[in-house]
Order: sequence, then C-alpha cells, then structure tokens
Amino acid sequence: MDVIARRDMLTSVADDLRIAGMTRPAPVAFTFDGATFSAPEGESLAAALIACGIRRLGDGLDPARPRAALCMMGVCQQCLLRVDGRLAQACLVLVRAGMVVTPA
Amino acid sequence: MAAATEAAQRGASVVVFDESPAPGGQVYRAPPAGYAMPADPDRLEGDALRAALAASGAVVKTGHRVWGVGGGPLVPLGEDAAPFRIDALAPDGSNSVTEARALVLATGTHERIIPFPGWTLPGVLGLAAATILLKANGVLPGRRVVVAGAGPLLYAVAAKVAKAGATVAAVVDLAATSEWLAALPALMARPDLLTRGAAWRASLTLKGVPILPAHRIVAAEGDKVLRRVRVAPLGGGEERVIDCDALTIGHGLVPATEATRAFRAAHRYEATAGGWVPVLDEDRRTSIARLYACGDGSGVRGAAAAPASGRLAALAALRDLGLIDSTTHATARSAPAANFARAARAGGAMARMMALRPALVAAIPPDTIICRCEGVTRAQIEAAVTDGATAMNQVKQFTRCGMGPCQGRMCGEAAAELVAAKVGGREKAGFATGRVPLRPVAMDALLGDFDYADIPVPRPAPI
Amino acid sequence: MTAPYDVAVIGAGVMGCSTALHLARAGMKVVLLDRGEICREASGVNAGTLTMQMTRAALIPYALRAHAMWMRMGEWCDGGHVQAVDCPGLSVAFTEHEVAMLEERAHFRRQAGAPIEIVSTARAREIEPGLSDKALLAGHCPIDGFTSAYLTGRAFRPALLNAGVDLRERCAVRGVQPGFSIDTEEGEIRATRLVLAGGVWLQDMAAWLGITLPIKVLINQLVVTERLPPVMRTVLGVASGLLSLKQYANGTVLIGGGWQGIGDRQRGGLAVKPDSFLGNVRLAAHTIPALRDARVVRSWLGLEAETADALPAIGPIPGVADAWIIGSVHSGYTSGPYMGKLLAQAICGQAPELPLFPIDRLLAKDQAA
Ligand SMILES: Cc1cc2nc3c(=O)[nH]c(=O)nc-3n(C[C@H](O)[C@@H](O)[C@H](O)COP(=O)(O)OP(=O)(O)OC[C@H]3O[C@@H](n4cnc5c(N)ncnc54)[C@H](O)[C@@H]3O)c2cc1C
Ligand SMILES: Cc1cc2nc3c(=O)[nH]c(=O)nc-3n(C[C@H](O)[C@H](O)[C@H](O)COP(=O)(O)OP(=O)(O)OC[C@H]3O[C@@H](n4cnc5c(N)ncnc54)[C@H](O)[C@@H]3O)c2cc1C
Ligand code: FES
Repeated sequence: MDVIARRDMLTSVADDLRIAGMTRPAPVAFTFDGATFSAPEGESLAAALIACGIRRLGDGLDPARPRAALCMMGVCQQCLLRVDGRLAQACLVLVRAGMVVTPA
Repeated sequence: MAAATEAAQRGASVVVFDESPAPGGQVYRAPPAGYAMPADPDRLEGDALRAALAASGAVVKTGHRVWGVGGGPLVPLGEDAAPFRIDALAPDGSNSVTEARALVLATGTHERIIPFPGWTLPGVLGLAAATILLKANGVLPGRRVVVAGAGPLLYAVAAKVAKAGATVAAVVDLAATSEWLAALPALMARPDLLTRGAAWRASLTLKGVPILPAHRIVAAEGDKVLRRVRVAPLGGGEERVIDCDALTIGHGLVPATEATRAFRAAHRYEATAGGWVPVLDEDRRTSIARLYACGDGSGVRGAAAAPASGRLAALAALRDLGLIDSTTHATARSAPAANFARAARAGGAMARMMALRPALVAAIPPDTIICRCEGVTRAQIEAAVTDGATAMNQVKQFTRCGMGPCQGRMCGEAAAELVAAKVGGREKAGFATGRVPLRPVAMDALLGDFDYADIPVPRPAPI
Repeated sequence: MTAPYDVAVIGAGVMGCSTALHLARAGMKVVLLDRGEICREASGVNAGTLTMQMTRAALIPYALRAHAMWMRMGEWCDGGHVQAVDCPGLSVAFTEHEVAMLEERAHFRRQAGAPIEIVSTARAREIEPGLSDKALLAGHCPIDGFTSAYLTGRAFRPALLNAGVDLRERCAVRGVQPGFSIDTEEGEIRATRLVLAGGVWLQDMAAWLGITLPIKVLINQLVVTERLPPVMRTVLGVASGLLSLKQYANGTVLIGGGWQGIGDRQRGGLAVKPDSFLGNVRLAAHTIPALRDARVVRSWLGLEAETADALPAIGPIPGVADAWIIGSVHSGYTSGPYMGKLLAQAICGQAPELPLFPIDRLLAKDQAA
C-alpha cells in the first residue's frame, strides 16, 4: 500500500505546528494511512493532520487531486477521509484515541 | 445564538441547529473541550452569547447537520403554507425531523477564493480557514507563511501567526493603502476594531514583515506540496518569488444562501454584501412568509452586526406569530435596530473591501481549474458560453461546473463572474437552483435499518 | 413584413429539437421557440435511461429504433452527443408478487420486440456483480443503456444551427392565431405550419387553439451521489418500474424511477418529499448494497407529461389545418429523437415509418375531427 503519510512527511514540515502556551487535553494515538500519530483528544482531525505535517490527504476520485483541507468549515469537501471505515470530513471530526483514518 | 436567545427569552419554544460541536459560529467559535487558551475579545463576546443562550430555555442541538429544509411554501398548489420542516443528521448518525411555525436562517458565509495556478496544492489554505485553525485549535498553517487576499482577516491572521513564532513571509494585500484610508471614516464607528487593527499592523511592522499593498498571488508552486508563491503588483509589473510552506488566501466572504434559494425566496445581487442575498425588509423578513434571514448569510456585515440582525429577525418572527403585540415589538426592536445600523456601517466598509474584484477573475489563465470537484477550467466554462449557455444553471449542465460534492460553493463566484463578463452582468448570469441536501449526506445515516416491506413503493405505470 | 416560416416549433425539448432538425434537413424554413433555454426542462434533467424494461409495450418498436439513434448520435447530429453508453439492463423482482409482475411484463415486451429473457439471480449477478443477493429473479435485456441528459441541449444546438433552424431561446409564446400568427415576448412571428412540443405545457398550448387536452403532470425526483469506485455496470430497475439506477463513467450514481415530489406546471419542480426521497434511496441501496457507503450530493425534480391513457400525443391537431402536436411519450427521452423524425416525415407529406399516435382519442367527442 502506498503510504501517503510517510511520503508527505518527507516533503513537508514535520515539526510540531501547535502553538505553545495553551492548555490542551492529553495526546492520544491515531493512525493515518497505516502510520501512527498523536494529537490532543478533541482536536479537529484536519488540524491534527496539519500539525503532524500531513497535508496531502490522498488522491480521492475527483479530477483535481490530491485532496487537502481548504476551508476548515465543512464546505469545500476537500478533506474527505475514512474514519473507522466511514466517509467523514476531517475538519468536522474530532480526534479520538485509536481512530483509524485512511484516505477516501 | 442571538435570535434564539431573544425568541426563547420572550417565551417562544425555540430549537437551534448547528453542525459544530458547540454554538458560536465562525467568529465566536468555542474552544474544544479541555482547551484553555488566552481569551481575546471575540472569545469573551462569544462566551457571553453562549451563556445567554444556555440560560434562555432554547433547545440547542449542536453536532446536527441540517441537510433538508421543506414545508413553508413548498407545498402542492392551492394548499396553505405548511409548518417548516428541518431534517438534520444527529451526531449519532440518526436523522432527526423537526417542524416549526417560523424559521430563522443564520447560515453564515463561506470563503471566496478566486482560483490561480496552483491553488489546489496542499499547503494552500483559506484565510478564514486559517483563523479556525489558529483560534479554535491553536495550530499554525506552516512555519513560513504567506498571508494573502483581502479584508481585515489578512492582518488578524498574519499577526497571530507572527505572534506564535512562525515566519510571515509576506502579507499580500489586494487593497491599496488608499482603500484602507478611504474606509477609515466608516470604521470610526467602531474604535475598538480600529485599535485592534492598528495593533495588528504595528506588530507586523515591528517584526519586519513585508506588506505588499495592491499585490496578488500569480501562482502557487511546488511538486507535491506548496514550496513557493509568485506575487505581482495588481496593475502589472515585476513578479517576485517568495518561498513558503503555507499560503493562506481569501478574497472575501460569500453569504450561504442555499436554504433561501431552496425556498425560492426572492434574491438580489449586491456585490458589496458578498453576492446574491435574499431580499429582506428592515426586520429581516424574506419574501416568504415566516422565513427570516440574519447574520452574514443574509449579506456580509460582520460579526458585530450579526447578533443585532438576529434579534430583529426573532422579534419579527414573534410578532408575526402573534406572540408579542405591535407595541412590544416596536419598543423591543429599537435597540437592535440602532446597534445593527451602527455595526453595519463598519461591517459594510469591510465588506466593500472584501467584495469580488473582477480584475482578479480576468487574470485567471485559461487552463486553470475553477471547479475543483469536477476539474472544470476557465477555458471550458467560456467554451460553454460560446456554445450557447447564458446562465449558471445552463453552464452547469454544459460543463458539470458546480455539480460536485461542494455544489458550487467554492467555484460558484469565479464561474459566475466569468459567465457574467460574457453575458452582461451577474443578474443575467443568475445562480444555480438551491436543492436538498444542503450538504452531502451519507446514505448509511439516511437509510437506517429497513426491510424491503418498509419501502413505500408506489403503484407501477400500466404496461 | 418578413416572409413567414414554413413551420414554427414551440418547445425546445427533445421532441421539439428532433422535429425541428428533421424538418429543416427536409428543406423547410424552421423557427424553434422556447420560453427558457434549449432542453432545460424534462429533456435536460431526466435520468437518461434508454431502457426497454420501463417503457410501455406499445412503444418498444419506437424505443428500439431510438436507442440506435442515441448510440450513433454524433453521426446524425453533427458530432453532438450525450455520452450515450450501451450496456445491458436488468429488471429485478424482490417478492413473489414482483416475480409475477416481472414475468407478465417481460412477456408483453418480448412480444413487442424487446429481447428480454428471464434469468436466475445467479445469472443476474454474473451480469451485474453489484446486485443484491436478495433478488429472486431478473429480466435481462441486452439492449439498454443511458446518457448524460444534461448534455442534450448542447448536443442538439450546433446541428440545429447548421441545418438553418432559427433557434429563439428565452422567447415565450403567449398565444397563437390561426394562420399562424404567433404572439411571443419578442413580437409576432408568422408561420405556415405549427408544431406544439411543449411537454407538460401542451395542455396550455392546445388551449390556444381552442382544444381541451388534459395533460397530467408527474413531478419526478432524481437523486445523485458523489463519485464512487465502480459499484455497478448495468442499468438496473425493479419489476414495478419504480427504480432506475446507473453509474456514470465519472463514478456518480443516479437514482431515479419516477418517485414523486412537490410541484406543478406553474411553479415547476418545487421540492422533494422527504418520504419519496428516503424510499427511493432505500430501494436503490436494497438493490445495490454498495450504495450504503455513498454520499448523496443533490436531488432535483423534473416535470413529465402524461395523457389520459398514458400513450403519446403525436399527430395532427383535429380541426386546425397544418397544426401538429408531439409529446406525452412514456419514457419519452428514450424515444424522443425517433418520434421527432416520424412527425417530420408526416409533416413533409410522407407516410411515417411507424404509425403516429393521433390525439382524437383523447378529446371530447365534439372536438375530435
Ligand atoms: C444525468 C444527470 C446527472 C447529473 N449529475 C449531477 C451531479 O452529479 N451533481 C449535481 O449537482 N447535479 C447533477 N445533475 C443535475 C443538475 O444539478 C441540475 O442542473 C439538474 O439538471 C436540474 O436541476 P434543478 O432542477 O435543481 O435546477 P434547474 O435546472 O434550474 O431547475 C429549476 C426549475 O425550476 C423552475 N423554476 C425555478 N424558479 C422558479 C419559479 N420561481 N417559478 C417557477 N419555476 C421556477 C425552472 O424553470 C426549472 O425548471 C445531473 C443531471 C443529470 C440529468
Ligand atoms: C425527472 C425525470 C426523469 C425522467 N427519466 C427518463 C428516463 O430515464 N428515460 C426516458 O426515456 N424518459 C425519462 N423521462 C421522460 C422524458 O424526460 C420526457 O418524456 C421528455 O424529455 C419530454 O420531452 P419534451 O420535449 O416533450 O418536453 P420538455 O423537455 O419538457 O420540453 C418542453 C419545452 O417547452 C417549453 N415551453 C413550455 N411552455 C412554453 C411556451 N409558452 N413558449 C415556449 N416554450 C415553452 C419548455 O420551456 C420546454 O423546454 C423523465 C422525465 C423526468 C421529468
Ligand atoms: S476542509 Fe473544507 S470541508 Fe473540510
């Protein structure tokens, strides 16, 4: 399987983009495309992926690829992923421990 | 929040739907559970509105995605208007149906991003999107960020990025300095905003952030993700290349009118309100009985004006339902009416700054993708017009532009402007018909568990 | 005053377009009028199913010929096309009652010339691997297919113009005087012959000539999903005819079948009924279970016309010389291009290849010729 996550990690910012000086819930682990990441529980999944340096969310079936979060408010549909097997918009889903995320 | 609070406090039975996890909307967005971040004025304002809503007695259904609207005028010919019907997907995936005698729409805006080569690269993010990322999640869009587009959000985002320790590679402002100066008198009505804006700019200047007025992004470049942008003065001139790992860009806000369009309320085009807006009276009544619109979804006037317009809508609804008498209505509406007028003056000046700039659309190269969901380019849209399409609904049929999952919310503005330039104006180009679902809905959630016998298959046609 | 047209066709749906095109190619000077844009009503928003298993048995000979026309549209329409796809069709039964209905209907349609065979579920699932194992039996017709109906106007337009048709869009007709003087928003237009091709508005148009022709309005609903990986490769229906299902090359799946929404002649297709919406998508997901995983992005409505006996209105208008009518064809998109060709033959004084459907049967006794 093509591991988008790893490929993107090499080509993108990999250091943590979370702003310091805020209290956040404890980080929990989740997987994206087979690789394990961690993010504070309750963070928007789209934000969590950006913070982990992942911006290519997969190729999707639409002509203009790859997918990448654009609007962060549920409108553009470019952040569509599978969360535990179901289609979901990453910007409207909150990070939960153990969630399995794959490109859609 | 304001409309629901006002109505519930005055004794109406009220239910509010929002697809976010907490009430607040885009500007007054609440932090996720377990987060504590330094409060800013918006947060305090939002907290006050949330507290009032919680105390008002209104039923608040968050995490509910409204996908269906019906009832009201949408009944067979000759029948009386029905109660409004709202279909929403609850957080557990089930469908909830609600009926109401009056419906107040407060659907807000989405961002206008006029396409340019490379706008679909990962690393390009909306400007309003960046505020959500920064304010609600405390996450930076990148380490070296170019902030581009139009309106006050530019400086808000740039200041926030810089404060958090990342590099703002440049602020690329469509507006010329003279436009900001021209907006000053209207902004005097809101000294608080003016001070905040000045502070943002000062902090950027202090950090030596290059601010490029009257410039645009010519292209975003990179192989798999964004690496650099090319920028140029609006009037033409030398391009420069700026390395970056994120571009946040927005060209203003567009009212979300899919619900008023679905009800076939009357609309008019008003560029300085963000585009097509429902026709409203001064108490926020649409052309449809007992259907009201408030906030930026009824015309962009900013966060300060929105609660006032919400209160006006609620009061009109209560009056129309006979829950308050005309004297009470007249007295109660005077404060929000005055607040709205004041806030709308400053908000209007900002909205004008964020209005669509035709020159930006004119500069889109022919092979640039306009409709991302369907991969439709500028050249294809213009070819459809050459082939006889004269309005948005027809361009959509000829090209599939706007038929994808976002239903034209992202491409609609640029596409309509391209068509308008050829057919003689946005009024002529019109807009795509509004239909349910208002957002894509998962079949799985809709279907539920069912047996074949549960399906009310109608009688077949004769053989 | 300018010379009158040889013929004025009112209504630029598939019926009006095909009639106008064939008349112009036969040498007539044609004006084609529509109050909106070309093929933006039923003919541009329909499900595009070209099936033999939904159309009425009496129309099968027409539908078979029209199917062939759609598949070769580029050849006779100056390259214009609607992305027609030729594929098998299956009509499925889920209950014993439907099994009986399927067998009876297949029998009548076979007699009318449609090559439909009844197949087992196992065989049906070889033809359509996406089909639910809950099916009991299926009718299989190798001649089936579908188009992207939204392209119909774009497909016809250049050919009409090349043939010399004067296409006037956004030009509503308000009335007609014998002779014919046509009262339009852009002024009077004169023509020697008249063709009414107004879809569900035929009732109003007939009234211009003093004819009472009741036309029932069906408010058909359609639902479309976003792009999916391939989940099916045929046109699928159910025995009752109340499902039509297909997946386009782009991955979207169109769900239809004639479930009714809210609307009327005056206001158009107003809104889907939540119950029809749910019923229709449930029936679809029951038939192709993989659809459960899809997201619905849009629904819409279109207006379909039906006469009292649900058979077409195609032929001369009794009592009004040189006036003709075409419309109310069940599965009328499928048969449309061929019906227009037939009517053009009749108007040009030739014997049509297949019989027309004169409207005398639908009129009160004192109106029929
Ligand atoms: C094969 C096919 C596939 C499609 N696939 C997709 C897809 O993947 N995604 C997608 O989004 N769409 C798709 N479409 C549909 C497309 O979105 C629509 O253009 C559709 O063709 C008709 O849409 P509509 O009825 O909602 O709007 P319109 O075509 O604009 O219809 C509106 C109707 O309402 C009438 N009307 C409007 N206002 C009034 C009024 N005030 N009074 C009276 N009448 C009024 C108009 O005359 C018109 O008949 C597809 C269509 C087809 C045929
Ligand atoms: C949702 C839906 C799905 C369908 N699915 C299928 C299918 O899968 N397969 C199939 O074979 N058939 C299908 N049908 C049926 C098929 O679409 C119709 O039978 C066919 O398109 C009718 O064509 P028409 O030209 O008669 O009417 P229309 O396409 O409705 O054209 C009538 C025209 O008359 C014009 N007009 C009206 N009044 C005036 C006036 N006063 N002046 C000038 N112009 C006027 C209108 O603007 C319109 O363009 C479906 C129909 C609908 C509505
Ligand atoms: S980022 Fe646009 S829908 Fe999620």
